[in-house]
Amino acid sequence: MTVTAYRSYTPAGRYGMRQLLRSETVKMATLRSTLWTLLITTAGMALVTIISANSALHRSADWYRGFDPTNQSLAGLLIGILTMGVFGAMAVTGEYASGTIRTSLSATPRRLPILVSKATVAGAGMLIVAEALSFACFALGQAILSGGGAPSAHLGQPGVARAVIMSGAFLALFGMLGMGLGTVIRNTAGAISAYVGVTFLLPLLLHPLSGDPVRYAPVQILANSVSVTIMNHSQVSPTVGLLLMFVYSAVVLFAGAVVFSSRDA
Amino acid sequence: MIAAISLTKRYGETTAVRDLSFDVQPGVVTGFLGPNGSGKSTTMRMIMGLDLPTAGSVLVNGKSVRDLRWPLREVGALLDAKAFHPARSGRNHLRWLALTNDIPLRRVDEVLDIVGLTSAASKRAGKYSLGMSQRLGIAAAMLGDPGVLLFDEPVNGLDPEGIRWVRHFLRDRAAEGRTVFVSSHLITEMSLTAQHLVVIGRGSLIAETSVTDFVARSRGLAVRLVTPEPGAFTKTLTGSGATVAVDDDGSLNVEGLTAAQIGDLATRDRLTVHELTPMVASLEDAFMELTQDAVEYRSSTMAVSTSGGQR
Repeated sequence: MTVTAYRSYTPAGRYGMRQLLRSETVKMATLRSTLWTLLITTAGMALVTIISANSALHRSADWYRGFDPTNQSLAGLLIGILTMGVFGAMAVTGEYASGTIRTSLSATPRRLPILVSKATVAGAGMLIVAEALSFACFALGQAILSGGGAPSAHLGQPGVARAVIMSGAFLALFGMLGMGLGTVIRNTAGAISAYVGVTFLLPLLLHPLSGDPVRYAPVQILANSVSVTIMNHSQVSPTVGLLLMFVYSAVVLFAGAVVFSSRDA
Repeated sequence: MIAAISLTKRYGETTAVRDLSFDVQPGVVTGFLGPNGSGKSTTMRMIMGLDLPTAGSVLVNGKSVRDLRWPLREVGALLDAKAFHPARSGRNHLRWLALTNDIPLRRVDEVLDIVGLTSAASKRAGKYSLGMSQRLGIAAAMLGDPGVLLFDEPVNGLDPEGIRWVRHFLRDRAAEGRTVFVSSHLITEMSLTAQHLVVIGRGSLIAETSVTDFVARSRGLAVRLVTPEPGAFTKTLTGSGATVAVDDDGSLNVEGLTAAQIGDLATRDRLTVHELTPMVASLEDAFMELTQDAVEYRSSTMAVSTSGGQR
């Protein structure tokens, strides 16, 4: 057989993070579920913020002693814990469920860069959204509080901007925790169950134990340490809390990276 | 080209692929033939780096796929028809894929045109029929214009028009000098599409052969020939190494040549053909035929080694 073998055109260099980051951005932007997650999160947060702020109106002077208007308005972020975790998990499990993962791995067979770029793109996206929503919840909550004649806060007060910014970052880390679980478990239902178990059920199990271990649980850190301006010294400090959450999600993502690099797809 | 070297894959106790070595050359369609469950898909996944071999290795253009600088530009694969997200449009699926290997986005429209999906490109891929999904998969495989193409059972579930389209597509790509490796469990399909065969059973290599040889060795495969000149035709056919028997209705039953070869002989010797039908034999028949010796050999060596162990 005298056929000349086909020569594929291959430019200089090789694929790497630059290509993968652009590709993962398009992947995320071209799924309508991204927009839906954003809309549901926004609507849910607005609703909870409105309910939370209104519940703090027209109270007695006694009730307002030790009142933290910032914390009251950031209650809306609790809805985001669920949607961010699900979004993070599905960024990975969605590829397994649809079979897209095999297309991804065929196009870029080295495993680790895929996960790193996916985590970078999803993480950056979630951080921007979570910060925007954190500021929005704060503004909405304060508007309701001051409109109703209750004490309210503004960003210039001590600890307020810190609480709002760190709460947004903390929320994005919930998304990364979900992504780590999604990478380890691969299955959407399993990953979401594990996520709900770790974030919402585990603290209930820890509750009866001595030494108050619940204060190290993610939801409690967000609610009692990070989103407050009046420190409760039985809780961990905001900085330690944010650092702990970073370690939690990094450990789970690292476990995901280890199995993703060695597992058959 | 593709080179498998002592490729082995074990899942716990079961061995899916055992010490498999073969080469796939450019310029011809190479069929990867074996019954369902014989390890074809596992082998293809190992070629693409989706599954890691337990032992041995497989090289594409002399490299493991993980070492290819621009993988999509060197090897394209259709491993399963629906390896895309159902909520993304066909065009968007190809867009993210193109970006991974710095492929210009105008190539997306080119491959959509090649596979005839242009009009459906903006539709959610989840709404595609199986045939359209298959075409999207082929478009994805062609995106980087690679010299090596892999297709796992590409005609499964397609209508006759789709099957014909895929056959022509594969042969045309091979004619351009590309390496085309396509798996199937259907010998008749392979006899129409491929020129070369890698045959496996239970994860082991059974034959690396040309289609003509394989068909000739499989006595279960015959071609029914109706001709007004059976005498002259029989002479021509037996002269080319075929075995010819006359059926009850006067038609000839030809073994050892493909329908295409018989047609060529008819043209060469100016003989009239009224009907030329490849008789459908299942791969299982042809396969049993071909592997009988291997199976017997294997069980007898097992018996020997067992008694040897008892001594």
